Amino acid sequence: MASKIFMGDMPELMENILNNLNNEFYSLYSCALVSRHWCSMSIPILWRDPFSFDDRKPPSFISRYFSYLDEDEKFDLKEYGIIIDFPITVFHYARFLKVLDLFRLEDKVQKWINFQYINPQKHINILKDDIANLLFKLFIKSGTTLSKLNIRISEFIIKPEIFYSLGQNELFFSRLQDVSVEAISDEYNIDETIMLLRILAKNSIKIHTLKLNVFEDIYGPQIYHTFASIVRAQEQLKRFNLIYEAEFQAKFNGIVSALGNQRKSLQEIKIHGCAYDAEFEVLMNCEKLEVLRIFYGDEQELLKLLVAGFCKFNTLEIMTTQLNASGVLQFLEKSSSLLQRLKLHSDEDILFQVPLLETLTTFCPNITYLYISRLTLSKQLVKLIENLKKLQFFTLKWSNYDSENAVKELVIELAKILPSTLQYLYWECFNFQSNSFNDILLDYCDAPLKKLLINVDCDEKIIKALIGFCIRKGSLKYVNDISRTDYDYLEEDLEGYAKPVSRDFIEVNC
Amino acid sequence: VKLTSSEGTEFIIDRKVAEKSVLLKNMLEDVGESDMAIPLPNVTGPILNKVIDYCTHHRDDPFVSQEDDSKKVSDDIDDWDAEFCKVDQGTLFELILSANYLDIKPLLDLTCKTVANMIKGKTPDEIRKTFNITNDFTPEEEEHVRKENEWCEER
Repeated sequence: MASKIFMGDMPELMENILNNLNNEFYSLYSCALVSRHWCSMSIPILWRDPFSFDDRKPPSFISRYFSYLDEDEKFDLKEYGIIIDFPITVFHYARFLKVLDLFRLEDKVQKWINFQYINPQKHINILKDDIANLLFKLFIKSGTTLSKLNIRISEFIIKPEIFYSLGQNELFFSRLQDVSVEAISDEYNIDETIMLLRILAKNSIKIHTLKLNVFEDIYGPQIYHTFASIVRAQEQLKRFNLIYEAEFQAKFNGIVSALGNQRKSLQEIKIHGCAYDAEFEVLMNCEKLEVLRIFYGDEQELLKLLVAGFCKFNTLEIMTTQLNASGVLQFLEKSSSLLQRLKLHSDEDILFQVPLLETLTTFCPNITYLYISRLTLSKQLVKLIENLKKLQFFTLKWSNYDSENAVKELVIELAKILPSTLQYLYWECFNFQSNSFNDILLDYCDAPLKKLLINVDCDEKIIKALIGFCIRKGSLKYVNDISRTDYDYLEEDLEGYAKPVSRDFIEVNC
Repeated sequence: VKLTSSEGTEFIIDRKVAEKSVLLKNMLEDVGESDMAIPLPNVTGPILNKVIDYCTHHRDDPFVSQEDDSKKVSDDIDDWDAEFCKVDQGTLFELILSANYLDIKPLLDLTCKTVANMIKGKTPDEIRKTFNITNDFTPEEEEHVRKENEWCEER
């Protein structure tokens, strides 16, 4: 007999199971055809985010929405030369939509048009906007409530009736938790965008994650004020990203200071390309702020400020051109044993490496994730790693200009003390021949690595060492050869030992 | 902490292990120190034994909030967890029900993910056979659903 979970007694548990198949369109489709109950459980998940469906396949699901258009809208479609039927569907699929990405909407509509028999006399661009607007309006009127919205406007023109519909259906944006605004262009539709953002500010108060991405310092104050009002309107904003395309922007127009309203909820902030500004002072009072990510900005000043604040950080991620480690030391000392995840990415060699390593060794024993680039392989580094008894994920991008023998000794020393908790290693050398010591590392490594990113580059010596490591430890599952994108060549050699995979598949982020 | 399964078998476990269950954690906080066994009428002895194994192995794991959980994107199931889930289907579903009753979210997620992996890539007929489900569609209904969703048919 089938479990009661699958018979309709406990729908919340069946939903929990099926949620794991999110975006596995084929599997969800199969589920929908199992039985009536399975159908009613899987169809809402299948249609939650259909616009993320595989780009290589025709988005013919779009036609299914048309059955619920008004008669005059169906007439308009026919006028455009679209020759399709509008049969009544089993479900009102628009009601299941939870994720709306305006760029994907526009893109999928364009692809749908390309697959249809349409009147070649018509202008496709106009048609695309018309259909995208019809769908947008249908979603608003369907009664669904979105959970995720991505506003990425390019040439897509939002028509006035959309704003009217949003005014009539305030619930549409009311349960949004994740909002991203991207790539706003000054040439197209800025007024419509501002209008849309204002409605968002008015109707959405439950956003947890807000990402304001890739906008430039070219807009009038209106748009910044609208962003600030979205931030202020939230009851419990937890994650906030502010990403500028160019480096060292300092024109925030109240967006950052609006975070003052979120001081009891904000947990994570990521800023990209931002210069220091007094607006950041509000972060000092964010008592729950525990994750800080600074990309190509003024990390020195910001860290100095936050050291004096109430925040207690467990994660720090810095990406910069050349890191001056002296500006990080106080922050590390203050975070101390709370710090669990640390990524310091410097395009050029890190300055003041010795005090950095000494501070980490003395104050931060609980690190589980460590990423350092670029650093000299040294005795101090070996001592630090020996001290990190909980280390699970380790990325080291290093160089060393001592003699080959001296470096070999250091590699052996480090390989031997890699902790038994370590399951992930990304190892990259910047000088010598970049894979010179990789076989040595593998020969001496006793950590039960499951995932390894390393330069193999068809080198027989390293392949042999890899196989030796697999036989000795029996833990390795996935390998990526960081020197090449075509990793298939490793499959034969590693068959039965470990699986060669793409970097995206195994790389672990901070 | 003393627990009693549905058949009356008694289990004694560390408080830290018991507190992996939100239900037990709240009960212990409400009742305070007590020698009284906590009855768990919805959980059989063998299943409770498995649940205790899981909570003991994961006793030092950090608490994962609902939102952190959404960051988990990988299909990767830890080796120990994968081995733990190598049980017959009846036991797996009993574990889901117990994890839900005892409010142990990581165990609920693990067992639900394991069942989802059993569904992945299968045809409707294969799913029916795997879980012993009867097809109660009329041929017309089935055809309608198939036609309206055939856009995702290609693997």
